Amino acid sequence: MRAVRWAVLGAVLIALPWLVAAAFPGQQRYILHVLIFTALYGALALSFDLVVGHVGSLSLAHPAFFGVGAYGLALLATEARWPFTAALAAGLVLAGLAAVVVGVPMFRLTEHSFAMGTLGLALVTQIVATNWVDFTRGPLCVTGIPKPQIGVLRIATLSGFYWMGLTTLALVALLYHGLTTFRLGRAFHAVRDNETLASSAAIDPLRYRMLAFTIAGALAGGIGALYVSYVGVLCPGELTVSLSVNLLVMIFLGGVGSLRGVVVGAAAFTALPEVLRMAPTWRMVIYGLLLLVIVIRAPDGLEGLLQRRGARGRRPAGA
Amino acid sequence: MTRIGRGVIGIAVAVGLAVGLGAEPPGAGAQGAPPIRVGFSSAMTGPSAITGEGVKWAAQMVADEYNAKGGIAGRRIELYFGDNAGTPGEAVSAVRKLVDVDKVDVIIGQTHSGACLGALPVVKELQVPMVIEACSHPKIREQIGKNGNEWAFRVNPDDVMLANQFAKYMVQQVKTVSIFAQNDDFGRGAAAAYDAAFKKVGIKLLSTEFFDRGQADYRPVLTRVKRAAPEGVLLVMLASEGSVFMRQYRELGLNQKLFARGSMGTVEFLYQVRDSPNIADGLVEATYWTPALDPAWEKQWMERWKVPVRIHGSLAAIAFRYAVAPAIEAAIKKTGKADRKAIRDALEEIDVPNTPVGRVKFDDTHQAFINMLLVQIDGGQLKVLEKIPIQP
Amino acid sequence: MIDLVEQLVHGLTLGSLYAMVATGLALMFGVVRLINFAHGEFYMLGGYAFWYAYAELGLPYPVAGLAAVAAMGLFGLAYERAVIRTILPRTWHVQLIATLATSITLTNLAILVFGTQPKEVPTRLSAAILDVGGIRLAWQRVVVLVAAVAIFAGLEWFVGHTKLGKAMRAMSQNREACAVVGVDVQHVALATFGLSAALAAAAAALVSPLFNIFPDVGALLTLKAFAAVIVGGFGFVKGAIAAAFLIGLAESLAAGYVSYAYKDAIAFVVMVAVLLVRPQGLFGRRIGI
Repeated sequence: MRAVRWAVLGAVLIALPWLVAAAFPGQQRYILHVLIFTALYGALALSFDLVVGHVGSLSLAHPAFFGVGAYGLALLATEARWPFTAALAAGLVLAGLAAVVVGVPMFRLTEHSFAMGTLGLALVTQIVATNWVDFTRGPLCVTGIPKPQIGVLRIATLSGFYWMGLTTLALVALLYHGLTTFRLGRAFHAVRDNETLASSAAIDPLRYRMLAFTIAGALAGGIGALYVSYVGVLCPGELTVSLSVNLLVMIFLGGVGSLRGVVVGAAAFTALPEVLRMAPTWRMVIYGLLLLVIVIRAPDGLEGLLQRRGARGRRPAGA
Repeated sequence: MTRIGRGVIGIAVAVGLAVGLGAEPPGAGAQGAPPIRVGFSSAMTGPSAITGEGVKWAAQMVADEYNAKGGIAGRRIELYFGDNAGTPGEAVSAVRKLVDVDKVDVIIGQTHSGACLGALPVVKELQVPMVIEACSHPKIREQIGKNGNEWAFRVNPDDVMLANQFAKYMVQQVKTVSIFAQNDDFGRGAAAAYDAAFKKVGIKLLSTEFFDRGQADYRPVLTRVKRAAPEGVLLVMLASEGSVFMRQYRELGLNQKLFARGSMGTVEFLYQVRDSPNIADGLVEATYWTPALDPAWEKQWMERWKVPVRIHGSLAAIAFRYAVAPAIEAAIKKTGKADRKAIRDALEEIDVPNTPVGRVKFDDTHQAFINMLLVQIDGGQLKVLEKIPIQP
Repeated sequence: MIDLVEQLVHGLTLGSLYAMVATGLALMFGVVRLINFAHGEFYMLGGYAFWYAYAELGLPYPVAGLAAVAAMGLFGLAYERAVIRTILPRTWHVQLIATLATSITLTNLAILVFGTQPKEVPTRLSAAILDVGGIRLAWQRVVVLVAAVAIFAGLEWFVGHTKLGKAMRAMSQNREACAVVGVDVQHVALATFGLSAALAAAAAALVSPLFNIFPDVGALLTLKAFAAVIVGGFGFVKGAIAAAFLIGLAESLAAGYVSYAYKDAIAFVVMVAVLLVRPQGLFGRRIGI
């Protein structure tokens, strides 16, 4: 039965461009655009949750890896005329390498220091991206980033980008699922929940943290590369601390450590502004208050709420 | 979750919906001809939110002005706003929302170059005319009009267009200059343009310093400039930074000749320094707007918003009043309609000779050539020194 | 040489600012082990309170400054009761997100209430120039430095000689023991928070005449204050103060001699370097404030 449900979900998601066009004629381009961003942010949030939710390290360096991948593809595609697949691969690899370079020294630190250290590196990355104008163009932005081309397949329409986003989300979700279940997942969780006990069981916390961190960083870079291929222009303003804040809101809103929760959180965060059409500053105030209430009262986020609804009487996992 | 927690979330969402539904009134049922929907896209949130606020206020003032007279050619103006947060990604969202959800007939924006560049391909795809009011990136001219995007127009000049004239003025007074520029697309673009222009007229550029907006301590870099001792300084900054900058400039006892690009020679600047109104006497700014062109505008703004005129508001008003409104009127006169294509065609054809900013006519690269003004601060007041038409 | 002294003057102003802000952070971490991501917003609100008292109500400068300090102290107490008390027993993830959420809310509320136009509050002392052998500085900078030193001395006296202060120090050294001997832990936490907020407001009242106040002003300041707290050794107030001055001077010198555009990176590069090389802070692991 579960296979049937997955198949139906899959079919609906793939057919979404046509369904949206039928249901909202005249607005389908905008909705598709929102869905593209939702898919990419969902994938990004999942990669972030690998580190925060599953090995328990509050990394604030994610914007830096997103940026490395984005600038990697942007510069290679516009300056060196690399084809899309090569540039995307480069983005993934460069971001993964950056994660290794960051992770090795950072993971020696304890929790608070790790958070601050990764934050510091993210800030330095943004400052460099803004000021090393000869290399990154700085605030003058990298322009003319070409559309993705895989062999003869050229992605240039909204539907095409939507399927690209959907595929990305699906692949990342599959990877996330694979990494966080089975023995590997249990090892991650052991490191997250009780480091000393994990070490005594011959699970090296550093190795597992580095593994999650590197994969997450590489994924962030890949998503960054896809993002700039869609928007076509890359400015250093996309690499700010706000991205970390947004990702934190997404995963905490949805449910840290839960695949469904994180995807729902990302969707809610991206789609909410469109539903709550209000002055942007007011919206930010609502976000802040919502986040405050949720993290205090419902630290398991929406996922926790849904699970509690489905299994009353079971005590929610406190934080 | 406790009941209290759920209650709070419920209230928050309810408030959000209420504010949302209340904040953007749906199109008022028009009596007769349908209203013309004008969209404005700027940075409503993020570090540059001050610019979006100016744009929004100006849009409201100009729309009210037209609607008080029954609209443009009898058609009411309805305003819609998009938030590009100053980034290209959000600009794409803002344009798509304005077009597909708000169904605007024309867009004015995006104020910031990254956002402009991100929006350009989208307005081409969606076939909606966009009139750029302030983006200064030189690459924009390489992409609009006959260069590939028939739906985008630009009213404002960029520094590549202004620099040669301004440099010719500056070289009469100084032979060495240091540039202070804000560290964004505007500042970086200007610095590059003046670097090239100075070489042409024989001014030696001693140093170029960039500062992040919102970082109000300029002493270290002022000390560097004191050391370099140029005869003049070119300040590429807005009034909100410029006022703090000038205080520290005087604190350090610097007395170079002051030149500016941005919004230093403005009422806003003088208001910020009203405790020492002579602090920037002698400063000459190259601009294309000053309250002297329309004194009523400044008064009206102050009365309505309780703060002085903001440059990005004036720039949005220029695009609205002297390009978009005439185009709408011409479109209605010619075709009876003010839809996107009619407005686009009208924009290509308009030739408005006597606006306060000069002649508004788009060439085949969809760029208008309004006048450059040299404005001086003298005795705490603004004085227009010269009006120089910009050459194509 | 004059050049160098000029840069040092600036570094001392910056250092005083960072030190006052960092002290509040260090106090909170030291006494109740809380990392407050919204601390910069207390500075921002203190700045607006000062602006309101000085520019709008027309109160004389010292009165306006004290009014801002008192107002933020009260706000800090109220905020502690409303939010902090709930999150203190929780994991630090919850604390971080909660204070981050507060920061977002306060910043945007400030935009709604005060607008985006920065407020300037020049005083007689910020316009009056002191000229020492060719080095010019506004008298306000002298006030900032002197006041900062006075505040730190006052704090040291407070912690060493008053019941409440001694309780704070004791709590920072061993919280459980405090509860055992009958120290009202909640009361001390409340007072610490109020004190932190008041310190941030004092910094704003002193420094704002030289710079300006706008809703986002707290963001970068929070981060640099964190850098100081880390470099000085988490929870060690004197270390945070020393580190803050170090960072202020380093930033000023780097801006003056190396590159102005990259100056903000200095604080964070130093922070990361210290974290990697000497994670217990420059002054070693100390227990207590």
